[in-house]
Amino acid sequence: MSFKYPVVMPKMSMTMEAGELIGFHVKVGDKVKRGDVLFEVMTDKIDMEVEAPEDGVIESLIEKPGAKVEVGNPVLVMVTETEVMVFDFGSAEVQSKTTPAETGLSPQQKKIDATTPIQLPPVPAVLQSESVKAVPKARATAAKNGVDLRTVTPTGPDHTITMKDLLQVSPDPKFIKRKEANRALVARGIELSRGIAQTTFTRKVIADFDQATFIASWASVLRGKSNLESNPYIGVALIVESRYGSALPVFRDPDLCHHDVLRTLVAATIERAKHGKVPVAMLTGATTTLFDLSLFSMGTATPLLFPNQATSVTIGRDHERTKVVSLTIDLNSYDFYDGVALLDSLVAALSQSSN
Amino acid sequence: MSNNRMLTMAEAIREAMSIALDERPEVFLLGEDVGIYGGAFGVSGDMYHRYGAERVLDTPISELGIVGAAVGAALSGMRPIVEIQFSDFTAQAMDQIANQAAKIHFMLGGALHVPMVLRTPQGSGTGAAAQHSQNLEIWFASVPGLKVVVPSNPADAKGLLLAAIDDPNPVIFLEHKLLYKSPGIDPVPEGSTRIPLGVSKIVREGGDVTIVATGIMVSRSYQACKTIATEGISVELIDPRTITPLDMKPIFESVEKTGRLIVVQEGPAHAGFINEVIAQVTGSPSFGSLIAPIRRLAGLNIPIPYAPQLEHAAVPQVEDIEAAVRKIVADWQ
Repeated sequence: MSFKYPVVMPKMSMTMEAGELIGFHVKVGDKVKRGDVLFEVMTDKIDMEVEAPEDGVIESLIEKPGAKVEVGNPVLVMVTETEVMVFDFGSAEVQSKTTPAETGLSPQQKKIDATTPIQLPPVPAVLQSESVKAVPKARATAAKNGVDLRTVTPTGPDHTITMKDLLQVSPDPKFIKRKEANRALVARGIELSRGIAQTTFTRKVIADFDQATFIASWASVLRGKSNLESNPYIGVALIVESRYGSALPVFRDPDLCHHDVLRTLVAATIERAKHGKVPVAMLTGATTTLFDLSLFSMGTATPLLFPNQATSVTIGRDHERTKVVSLTIDLNSYDFYDGVALLDSLVAALSQSSN
Repeated sequence: MSNNRMLTMAEAIREAMSIALDERPEVFLLGEDVGIYGGAFGVSGDMYHRYGAERVLDTPISELGIVGAAVGAALSGMRPIVEIQFSDFTAQAMDQIANQAAKIHFMLGGALHVPMVLRTPQGSGTGAAAQHSQNLEIWFASVPGLKVVVPSNPADAKGLLLAAIDDPNPVIFLEHKLLYKSPGIDPVPEGSTRIPLGVSKIVREGGDVTIVATGIMVSRSYQACKTIATEGISVELIDPRTITPLDMKPIFESVEKTGRLIVVQEGPAHAGFINEVIAQVTGSPSFGSLIAPIRRLAGLNIPIPYAPQLEHAAVPQVEDIEAAVRKIVADWQ
């Protein structure tokens, strides 16, 4: 399955709001490999070549050379065949491909690379179409078999999908396979996590904030403790329930991104991830993981520490305005007092952000 | 003991009351014309002659007075069985029923009980017009502290009435007039046997559609099921028997099996008891098993007309139930 992937104007410095498109290195129809230069961008501080995040074909050029393009707006659209799913446990295999230190980039480029993945993922037209009517059991069965109800022809009264209609559609053959693969990955992640010495802290916070605010607040707290952080950037993985299992899109350096852009990015990414699609560029590079339990009306759970990540956080619902934040730390990376300080800073940042 | 003893519902209720009067000296029956006349519908029959004027008590025409006397007697250690001639007339006695009988136990911190049974006929089909034909179960079901029983056949009526008399709290026992003369489907067991309040009965098992019905709608649905079965559609029929307490478990299980639910009552659909059943199904995990919208079959939202044709048309009949079953299966495969 292929999908469209817009390559957007990257944020190349903390103050950058727009960049000038100098020129394209590709034309419509070109086949590109990951790492091929797509276009060049100029800002007041830096010029840069923007590379293809994945193998694909150039579908359209949206901007013209010389145009001033705001950060986050698409410059061109490419079509990629790469099936993107879902887990990045930071396994040795994935790490070797994606760790910035091993990509041979200069330190300056590394910093830019860290912010590049902040790109708006597209929501396919089919997912934007209006909702369908279906009997409750058809919904449940479709979800179980990976059938998209929008592809089913309704013959029931008032254009409602009946069980008979659903049986006309064969289940997605990849679905069960992927679901099983996902389950195996989860099991492996849990097993790997068991071997890590870890401890969990929990605090309550009276604050009202969205997921984007939480992601940015947590990244800014980690950045404030940069003396403890060995990573060159901060990548916050957000656990999103998809029909295949959990998807984990990674937001890199979200605290450096303009908050409105981040909010749009988070919302669009969650919508896509719910359907099992995570842009390639957002699949890797997590340094911490966030799980929003309030979506399940839960308060607390011990956050699972993912291998190669020193922290993991859950946010849950307590009372109307009170939320519960739980932090798990890897005791090989942090000591007990670091953990307390991190959680204190996070609670302070959240209280501040909601005022 | 005979296993196939068929009684009418009036005979079964009379037998239950007689057993209770035999077993417990504190049980007595009171109401208008329950004595010498034998009851407005002949339910008490010869009981006055068997038990005497002190235990089968004819009262003046004052529903409020009758129920008030019964509540007082119940508080003093008696177990009165009240008969009100038509359930429509309970409106006269509603303060004693809703504000006194239902509340006293709670307002006195559990110090006292009101072990009273109020029996009264309801329903249409007798040409008695709007003031003598209502189905008012929802009046009582909406008052916490009252139990509400709606027997659909003689065997259940006997067992449920004996259980109601045993119950330490007020029980409203609503009998359908058209059922009094009907022998029902099942034989009536001999002796002092009880059917616990709050246990639904699966009248007939089936796999395609679930029907939940009460009172006279149980026998109409049963008849419809039998006809429909010849067309290859199998219906599971469930009779909750008591509206309060309500046993939903067999209904959930049946909906999970069939995926199609039809609820039937004689009273108006608007704010009726069946809506409680629907709400509980849609709010339960069984919701995910539904393969069809839930269908309501109920009386029209009008006073029962006097003209027999209109009276007939105002409430669900056997053919309406058959049509609803055929349609839900045809529309929702």
